Formats: sequence, C-alpha cells, structure tokens
Amino acid sequence: MGHVSQTTLLRITIPCFGTLALLFMALALFLSGSDSSAQPGNPGPAVRVPSNVAWTHETIAIASGGNAFRGLLIARRCNHCHGEEGFSSVPIIPNLAGEDQLSFWKQMQDFRSGKRISPVMQGVADRLSARDSADLAAYYSMLPTAGDPHDSRAFPQAMQDPSRARIAIRLIVFGDGQRGIPPCQSCHGPVAYVKGAPPIANQNGSYLLDQLEHFANGYRTNDINVRMRSIAGQLTEDEKMAVSEYYGAGLGPGVNPR
Amino acid sequence: MTLLGLAILSTRYYMVDLPVWHFLGGGEGPDPATLHLRGEFVESNLGAAQGPAGSLTMRMIAQQYVFVPQCIVVPAGVPVHFRITSADAVHLLSFLGTGYGLKAVPGAVTEATFTFDKSGDFKIPCHEFCGAGHYAMRGRLEVVPRDQFASLLPDERRTCGPR
Repeated sequence: MGHVSQTTLLRITIPCFGTLALLFMALALFLSGSDSSAQPGNPGPAVRVPSNVAWTHETIAIASGGNAFRGLLIARRCNHCHGEEGFSSVPIIPNLAGEDQLSFWKQMQDFRSGKRISPVMQGVADRLSARDSADLAAYYSMLPTAGDPHDSRAFPQAMQDPSRARIAIRLIVFGDGQRGIPPCQSCHGPVAYVKGAPPIANQNGSYLLDQLEHFANGYRTNDINVRMRSIAGQLTEDEKMAVSEYYGAGLGPGVNPR
Repeated sequence: MTLLGLAILSTRYYMVDLPVWHFLGGGEGPDPATLHLRGEFVESNLGAAQGPAGSLTMRMIAQQYVFVPQCIVVPAGVPVHFRITSADAVHLLSFLGTGYGLKAVPGAVTEATFTFDKSGDFKIPCHEFCGAGHYAMRGRLEVVPRDQFASLLPDERRTCGPR
C-alpha cells in the first residue's frame, strides 16, 4: 500500500470527483424541483400580466385629472402623425380626437411598459410621464369630432364593399349570441361603456382592422382579462373587415359630433 | 322554532347567495379591479388546472360581456371544482341542459363541485341581467369522454376557446 504511483492516484480521484459533481447536480435539481412545487397556488408557467394598469380609484383619478392646456402644448409632438385636429391623414394611424381619457392613458402606459408593442409609439411614450399622458388625454378628449373640409384627414373612407354593411350592423347592434360575441356598442358606446374601452365611432377603418387582427392572432395582448382577445378570436375575416370598414366609413353609432 | 329558522336562513344574502358576514368582513375576496395583476385569476391561471390525484379545478372570470375562458372542456363523470369570480357586476353561469348554475360575484370567489355525466356540447348563457350586452354573453362547455380528455394536450385541456 505504501507504493502507489501518481497515475493510479489520478485514476482513482478523477472518477470520485465526477460522481461527487453528479451527486451535487442531482441534489440541486431535486431541491429546485421541490422548491417550485412547494407553493400550492403556483400556476407552473410564469404569470402573464396583460397590463400594469388596473382601474383602482387612484389610477382613475390620475388618468382623468389631466390639464388640457398643458396637453395642448405637449400634443405638438403628436401632430405630425395624428393630425393637428386629432385626425390623421394616414388611415393606419388612429384618430385621437374625442378619445376617452382612461383608454388613452392606459394605452400610453402600456406602450411605456412594453405591454403593447409598437416600435414607433414605444419611443414616444418613453419620454412622457404618467402626468403628461393624463394631460394629453384631457386635451384629445376635448377635441371636436365634427368634419373639417380644410383638414387632410383620412376619415371617413367609403366602404370597399357596401354589401358587408349588413354583417357589420348585426355585429355592432346585436352581436352574435350563439357564439357569445357581445355587440360592439355595448362596450364601445353609445349604448354602454366599459372602463378602458375606447369609443370607436370616429376611428379609421384600417387601424381598427389591424387591431382586431392583432387581438385575434395574439400579437396584441394588453386587454385586461382577455376580453378583446376572446371576441376578436371568434370573428371571421369577413366580419372583421365588415365591422372595421363600417366604422371607418363614419357609419357606426356614436354620440353626435361636436 | 320559526325564529330559529329565520335566523339560520338570514345568514345568507339571497341576492348573491353569500354569507352575510362576507359583506361585514370586507376585502377577503379578490379585488375585481386587480384580478389580472395578482392572485389566482391572472390570465395564465384561468381554465382547467389539474391538481394532485387527478382532481380538476376550473377557474373562470365573468365580466361584461364575456366569460373567460369562453370555452371550457371537462371529462365526463369526473367531479370538477369550479372557482369563479366577477370583474364587474353579478353574473350567473347557467350550464344549460345539465341543471347546474353558478353565480359570479365581484369581490368573492364562488365555489362548487359539479359532475357532468352526459358528454356533448352545452351552452353557458349568463342568467343574471348584467347590462347592455347581457343577452349575447354566452360561454361553451364541452364534456368529452374521460379517455379522450386524457389524450388532449395540456394547453387544449386548459381551454378550448381562443388563447
């Protein structure tokens, strides 16, 4: 036993280290495995939060307590795309005139936090504080929605296929009870409103179609409690086109323009 | 005897079928405004969840004017534990053709265990007037045979509606 060469020692110790390392790894795996299953309420996959905004009393107070004059000054940097009167000249960019304060503020927060993906708006919203967004919301909510012949607005655009109007009216006014699709006007007005749901009577059709498709294919996921995703996911291509074209033509029900 | 009966009956508030002390305690249920931020009703936790020993828990939110998830799939003959809350008003899930119903109350979790024996498609209309879109508020229940349910992917078991 006194005479053991160095190579023999190496041959014994290397496998020993290997087994030890394996043991440690198995132990670590076992510990981490038991750790995650120890919490009974753990849903397993990571918790997905659609939006950091929740309609508590404090949030509603912040979002609706903006200063419209300050908003007017900030809005000078939005005019280039969204139009000086809140109506954009490109139908794919949304109109902001007459926008609901809460929904405007929520979208700005979601752009900032990356919950709603838009390469353009994320950069813009990053530079605006929560108060700036509230001021802008107050300003845009006060802009008149009546038509202006001297303006280069894209809204309204005639329907490409007027025969689709019947599909649109049915969905907007009645929804589809068989599939569980509520009528558009029961949340987006004028019949009833839901907090955070924008009025869409003065919205561009191409923008609406984009959003419906994004909700349906999971690109846009910032609707609280999967509301719009459940609805848009059930609409057929024809129905999406019909509803968005109908609203984009200025035919959708809404409050009278100021 | 009558007084005792009345006393026992009056411990539940008949409009929402909750114990009266629920309204006195205050804040023990989930906050309807922050369901999507924390707690068991975050959107990744909705739908069917399989617990230990094969027990099945179904979490749903009722809101103006959709149920989430809008389509649920359960195995036939297996007790399903429902946990339901509302994000705004009182709704009632009425599982048409099965005889079961469940009220969804904002700020409270309504629990019940139902066993669906017949397989097939069932409608879940809202059975409590909740607002302008009430009559179009409808979910779907798919009851499938047990072996078919076992062959579904985990994601398909959670919900059969849009994800």
